[in-house]
Amino acid sequence: MLTLALESSAKAASAAVFEDEKMLAFSIQNAGLTHSRTLLPMAEDMLKNLGRKPADIDRVAVSRGPGSFTGLRIGLAEAKGLGWALDRPVVGVSTLEAMAYGGPVLDGQMLCCAMDARRGQVYNALFTVEGGKPVRLTEDRAISIGELESELIARQEPWILLGDGAELCFDTLDRSQVTVFLAPEPLRVQSARGVGLAAMGKTAVPAGELMPQYLRMSQAERERLAKLEKE
Amino acid sequence: MKILAFESSCDETAAAVVQDGRHVLADEIFSQVALHEMYGGVVPEIAARSHLEVISLLADRALQKAGISRGDIDAVACTYAPGLIGAVLVGVNFAKSAALALGVPLIPVHHIRGHIAANYLAFPELEPPFLCLAISGGNTMLVDVRSYTDMRVLGRTRDDAAGECFDKSARVMGLGYPGGKPIDDLSKKGDDRAYDLPRPAVNDGNPYDMSFSGLKTAVVNIVHHAEQTGEPLDKPGLAASLCRTVSESLVSRTMAAAEALGYAHVAVAGGVAANSRIRADFESACKAAGKTLYVPPLRLCGDNGAMIGAQAYYEYQAGHTAGSDLNAYATMEL
Repeated sequence: MLTLALESSAKAASAAVFEDEKMLAFSIQNAGLTHSRTLLPMAEDMLKNLGRKPADIDRVAVSRGPGSFTGLRIGLAEAKGLGWALDRPVVGVSTLEAMAYGGPVLDGQMLCCAMDARRGQVYNALFTVEGGKPVRLTEDRAISIGELESELIARQEPWILLGDGAELCFDTLDRSQVTVFLAPEPLRVQSARGVGLAAMGKTAVPAGELMPQYLRMSQAERERLAKLEKE
Repeated sequence: MKILAFESSCDETAAAVVQDGRHVLADEIFSQVALHEMYGGVVPEIAARSHLEVISLLADRALQKAGISRGDIDAVACTYAPGLIGAVLVGVNFAKSAALALGVPLIPVHHIRGHIAANYLAFPELEPPFLCLAISGGNTMLVDVRSYTDMRVLGRTRDDAAGECFDKSARVMGLGYPGGKPIDDLSKKGDDRAYDLPRPAVNDGNPYDMSFSGLKTAVVNIVHHAEQTGEPLDKPGLAASLCRTVSESLVSRTMAAAEALGYAHVAVAGGVAANSRIRADFESACKAAGKTLYVPPLRLCGDNGAMIGAQAYYEYQAGHTAGSDLNAYATMEL
C-alpha cells in the first residue's frame, strides 16, 4: 500500500512516500517560502523520482492540527484534493502525535510535545513509548505553560521535549522541579515522516470527512463569546 | 472540453462543470452568509475554515449534477486571485492537487475575469471586444475587454469598492449584512432626491477613476447626526439617494468610456450588478446611446464557479496553465 504523507502545520513543509511501513522517500523544505508553493511540487517530484504516478497512491495522510491555521489548511486542502480526485481515502493525524512518532521512540521514554500557540499557551500532548511506538497519556490540548509545568511535576518523570515549542518550554519550565531534555534538533519537529508513521493502522475516511482540529476558535469567535459572557 | 472549476475567494464556496466556456453542466454554490451575518461582515478566518469543510462535497455534487465521472474532466480551474488570501488558498490547493491526481491541465483564473465571463454564459452571442464594468464587494473597475484574455483596466475605484459602500451604509443603517439587497429593497420605497449626497468625483488624472469612501462617510454622518439630534431619519429616502448617487457615478463613466472607445456593447458584471437601480439606469443609458447592454441574471452576478469555468476555457486556449507550484494571491492586476 502506497501512502503519501504531507505535513505543513508549522514553518517547515515536508512530504514522504511510504510503501506499507517502509519509507521510500522524504523531502523537507524550511526556507520560509509559502507551503502553497512548495509542498505539492515536493510530492510530485518524489513520486516522479520513485517512478510512480499520482494514481498509484492508495492513501493520503496529513497532519490535521493543531498548528498554523493557514499552514494546516494548505496541507488539508491538498490531501482532500488528491483523495477526492483519486477516489482514495485520506487519514488526518494529530500534529502532536506525528511529532512523537518522528521523535526518539525508545521504550520507556516520556515525550512532551509542544507547539508555541502564542497567547501564553502551548498546544501539547504527552506520550510514553512502548514497543517502539508512542502511547498517548493525554489528549491534544491548548494549555498554559504553567498548567503544563504542574502536570509534569505531578507525573515525576524525566521528559523529552519535542516540537517548535520545546525551547520555549525548556526556557520557561522550573527545571529545579521538573527534569526535561531538549530532543536533538533533527528529531524535534513534526515532519511527514512522523505523519506517515502515525497514520499506520489508522482508519482512512473519504476526503469529504477529513476535518482539521485547530484546538482554537477564530479571533472573531473568541471575541464574540467574551463579549457575550460579559453581558 | 469539460472544465471542473472552483471559486473560494470570499464567502461562497463553489464548484462547477462548464463545457467549452459556454455551457454550464453544473454550478454548485455553498453560501456562508449565515456564518458571517452575526459579525456584520465576512470574517476571513471563518470563511477559510468553511471553504475547507465543504469543498470536496461541492466537487462531488458538481460531478453528480453534470452526470459525469472524474475521468471525464479535461481540466481543473480555480480562482487564484484576488481575494481573502486564506480563502483563495483553499480552492487553489484543492484544485491543483486534483489536477495533478487526474493528470489534467490546471488553469488559474483571475476572479474579476471570471465575473466578466459570466456574460458569456448568459449571452451566447456576446464576444469581445466590449466594455465591461465589474462591480462587487471588493472591486470596482471599468475594463476594456479587447479579447477573451487581453484586457485593460480603464479606471477603478481609488478607495472603497461600490459594494463595500453599500455594505457599510447598510450596516450603519441597521439593515444587516450583506447590505446590497436590503438597501435595494428599501430604496424602492424612497425618494431618490431626499438627500443630496456628494457625487464621488476624482478630479485629478484619469477621468474613469472613481471614489466611494466619501459617499460612505456622508451616509454614516447623516445617520449619526440623526441619532444624536433625534431628528427623524428617512431611511428609504437615504437608501434611494445612495443608489442614485452610486449609479450615476458608475453609469456616467461607463457610457463616456464606451463612447470614447467606440464600443457598441456594454456589459456589467459582479455582485453589485444585481442592484435594480443600476440595472435600470444602464438600460435607459444604453437605449439612449444606441448601445447593447449585457447584464447577467442575478445568480451569475454573485460569486460562482461557472464563471470561473467559462473564463478558464479561454485562458486555456491562450495557453495560460499552471503547475503544482501555483500560489494564491490577495491582489493581482487584471
